Amino acid sequence: MKMEDMSLSGLDNTKLEALAHDVYSDLVEDACLGLCFEVHRAVKQGYFFLDETDQESIKDFEIVDQPGVDIFGQVYNQWKNKECVCPNCSRSIAASRFAPHLEKCLGMGRNSSRIANRRIASSNNTSKSESDQEDNDDVNDNDWSYGSEKKGELIQSNPNSPRRSKSLKHKNGELSSNVNPDLYKYNYSSGISYETLGPEELRSILTTQCGVVSEHTKKMCTRSQRCPQHTDEQRRAVRVFLLGPSASTLPDSDTMLENDGYDAPDGQLIMSRLQWDGSSDISPSDSASSKASTNNSESKRPKKKKKPSTLTLTTTGSGGERDKGQERERGDRDRVVCGGSGSSSSQNALGLSSRKKRPKLPVPLAPSIYDDLN
Amino acid sequence: MSPAGCSHVSGFKVDNWKQNLRLIYQCFVWSGSVETRKRKVTLNSMHQSPVPVLFFSHSAIDLLYGGIYCFVCQDYIYDKEMEQIAKEEQRKAWKLQGRNISDYYQCIGEKYSMWEPTKRELELLRHNPKRRKITANCTIGLRGLINLGNTCFMNCIVQALTHTPLLRDFFLSDRHKCEMQSNSCLVCEMSQLFQEFYSGHRSPHIPFRLLHLVWTHARHLAGYEQQDAHEFLIAALDVLHRHCKGDDNGKKANNPNHCSCIIDQIFTGGLQSDVTCQVCHGVSTTIDPFWDISLDLPGSSTPFWPLSPGSDGSVVNGDSHPSGATTLTDCLRRFTRPEHLGSSAKIKCSGCHSYQESTKQLTMKRLPIVACFHLKRFEHSAKLRRKITTYVSFPLELDMTPFMASSKESRMNGQYQQPVDSLNNDNKYSLFAVVNHQGTLESGHYTTFIRQHKDQWFKCDDAIITKASIKDVLDSEGYLLFYHKQFLEYE
Repeated sequence: MKMEDMSLSGLDNTKLEALAHDVYSDLVEDACLGLCFEVHRAVKQGYFFLDETDQESIKDFEIVDQPGVDIFGQVYNQWKNKECVCPNCSRSIAASRFAPHLEKCLGMGRNSSRIANRRIASSNNTSKSESDQEDNDDVNDNDWSYGSEKKGELIQSNPNSPRRSKSLKHKNGELSSNVNPDLYKYNYSSGISYETLGPEELRSILTTQCGVVSEHTKKMCTRSQRCPQHTDEQRRAVRVFLLGPSASTLPDSDTMLENDGYDAPDGQLIMSRLQWDGSSDISPSDSASSKASTNNSESKRPKKKKKPSTLTLTTTGSGGERDKGQERERGDRDRVVCGGSGSSSSQNALGLSSRKKRPKLPVPLAPSIYDDLN
Repeated sequence: MSPAGCSHVSGFKVDNWKQNLRLIYQCFVWSGSVETRKRKVTLNSMHQSPVPVLFFSHSAIDLLYGGIYCFVCQDYIYDKEMEQIAKEEQRKAWKLQGRNISDYYQCIGEKYSMWEPTKRELELLRHNPKRRKITANCTIGLRGLINLGNTCFMNCIVQALTHTPLLRDFFLSDRHKCEMQSNSCLVCEMSQLFQEFYSGHRSPHIPFRLLHLVWTHARHLAGYEQQDAHEFLIAALDVLHRHCKGDDNGKKANNPNHCSCIIDQIFTGGLQSDVTCQVCHGVSTTIDPFWDISLDLPGSSTPFWPLSPGSDGSVVNGDSHPSGATTLTDCLRRFTRPEHLGSSAKIKCSGCHSYQESTKQLTMKRLPIVACFHLKRFEHSAKLRRKITTYVSFPLELDMTPFMASSKESRMNGQYQQPVDSLNNDNKYSLFAVVNHQGTLESGHYTTFIRQHKDQWFKCDDAIITKASIKDVLDSEGYLLFYHKQFLEYE
C-alpha cells in the first residue's frame, strides 16, 4: 500500500472499515511473529520444555474426590498431634490449644486479668506455699498437653498432678507411692526431674529454661530464664549444683527470643493493654454500611455465653491452694466443653501425657550441586 | 542464560560497534519519539517483504522485535552483548513513549519481560525433572488450616483471602516490599501464608504466627473465645492496610480515599449517602469508604418488606418473584431504598437553614474489585439476641448496575426502566467465596466454600478440604459472600 497522507474525514464507512481491518490484521500478525520469536529463542536456548511436568508429579497433586478423605486423599481428623512454638515464650504448644495458651501468655482476654489479679493478691501473702501455688497453676494449665490421645496413657499420666491426686483424694504434699521417675524423664507437667538427665541434656535445658528446683516437687522449673518465680541467684545456684562451678553464668538475656511469657503481674498494665485505640479518621473499618441502616440493633460478635460448669470435681480441700487450683480448672474446663468448633474437643481435660525427647545431632551435608546456591 | 551468538555476527564487533548498534535500534526498531516512529513506518512501507528487516552484508535485523538473523547460519542468533544493548534501547523507548502519552502513565514502569533461567538454573532444572505445575485438577493452592482453639472464624477468612485472585497474584509475584521496622508485619505474614498454600504440602498449615500477629495488632479481637468472622475480616483488612504503608501504630492519618495500597485497590469501595430535604429538595451528599456491605434480613426486628417502588433490580438479575425465597438482590434493593427519616430525626438543611424532615438513600458510588456482602444474621437488639436463619438465595453472577449511584441519577431523571446494557461489563461480579456459620449465637462453627480453577468449588472446614458442587454452595445459608469483578480495566 502506498504511503501517503490521507485525511480520514473524506472516507466513507466501507473504506474506514477496510482500514480498520488492515490495522487489526497488522496487529495480529505482529503478535504472532512475536510469539514465534519467543518460542524460537526458548528452544534455541534450551528452556522451552522446562515446564513439562512429569506424570508422577501430576498424579501426586491430583484432586481426590472420595468419601471419607479430603482432596489430598488423607483421612479426616488425624491432625491432633500437631504442635507449634509460641512466639512469645518459645515453648512448644499443642496446636489445638495454642489460642488459650497465647491468651494467657500475652496477658490478654477476659480471664487473664482475673488470674493476674489473683496472683497479685496471693503474692501479698508471701509464704513457702506460694511457690507451690504457682507450680500448681502451671500444672493446671491445659496448654501442656502433648501428643497422642491414646487412652492407655491416661493411666500413666503424671501422678503428681493435683488433678489426678484430687481424684485419688491425696492430701497436700503426699506423693503417690507408685512414682517412677524413670518413666517420666521429661515431665513437663510439673517440671523436669533432674536426677535422670545426663549432663548434655541438663546443659541444653539450662540454656533455655529457669531450672530452679522446687523444694516441694524436687523438679526443675520449666519457665523461661526470666521467670518471676525464682531469682537469678537461685538460677545460678542450680547451675553450679548441676553442672559444676564453671557453669555459673547465665546466658545473655539478649539471646531470649521474646518477652517473658509471665510478665510481672501489674493489673493496671494489663487493663491498659486491653484497650484498642482505633484511628480517628473515618476508615472503612468503621463499616459505614453497617451503621447506615436504621436497625437499632448493634452488630456485635456472637459471643459465647459462659455456661455454669456441669462438671463436679471431688476434692478434699485443705488450704487456699487447692481452692484456687480448683476454680481455675473449672474455668478452663468450661471453655473446652462449650467450645463450638469441631476439632478443639476436650481432649486436654483428660490429663497430661509425658513425652520423650532425644537431642538430635546435626548431619554433615554431603557436597552436591546445590552448594553454591544460597 | 548466556547466549553465545555466532562467529559471523561476532565479526561485527569491531571499532565502535556498540554505538552503531544502539543507533540502529534507536532509529529503526524501538522508536521513542514521534519523528522516529514516522520514519520507521515510512521505511516499512517502502519494501516488499512481509517482515520489515534491515539488511547488512550477511545478516539482518528484524525491525519489529530486534532479532538478529545470520544468513550463513540460516537462523536467528542470540548474542549476549547485543541483546544487552537491545534491551536497554527498548527500555528507553518504552519510558519515552509512556511520557508522551501522559504524565500519569509514567507509572507504567518497566516493560514486562519473561523469566529466563541462567545457565546454572538450567542445569539444576534439567537435573531435577520433577515439577510442581498448577493444572486444572491439582491441589496446589489448597491447604487446610488447623484450628488453634475456637479459631475457625479466622480460618474461614484466611481461606477466602488466599483465594482472592488479585491478592494471590500480588503476593505470589512478590510485590510487597516491607517498610516496617519490626518483624511484626502482617502483610509479610500474609505473603508467607501464600507460600505455604502453594508449597504443595498436604498437611494442614498451623497459622499460629498469624494469630499472634493479629492479636498483637487488633487487641479488641484478642482472647480465646469465639469471635465473629465478619469482625475479624474488617480488623484484618485494617491491619493489612496499615502495614502496607509500613505503619505500625496507626498514628499516621491515612486518608482512605487516596490510599493506593493493595488492600484499598482491591477491597475499598465508595458508598454514597444522599440526604434530601423534604422541603427544598436540596441534596446533601457524602461518600464514605467501605470494605463490605452489611445487609439486613427479613425476620429481623426491623421491617424488611415492602420495598419502595422504583428501586428495581429484579429484572436485571433475572429473579422476579411474587413470593418465595429472599434473594441477595432483594436485600440490596432494600439497602438502596430511599428511607424516610421521620420527624424524630430531622436534619439541619443548609438550604432551608432549619431542621427539616428528609429522606436518605444509599447507593454505590464506586464498586471495589472484591465486593463482600455481610448478611446480618446475628441480632442483638434490646429485647432479643438470636441468629436469623432465613434462607437467602444468592446468585453465581451478580450485576450491580441497578444499585449504582449513576443508575439512581438516571432513575431520578425519569428513566425508570433502563435498557439493560449487555455490553457494559463494569458492574458484573462473580461469586468466589462463601463463609457459612452453623450453630447458635453463643457457639457455632464457620466453614468456607471457595472457588478454584474457574468452576471448581471446595469446602474448607478447618483442616479438612473436600470437593463441593455448585449446588452445595448455592444452597448453603450464606453469611459472608465474596464477589469478584469479572472484567478488570486500568483506570
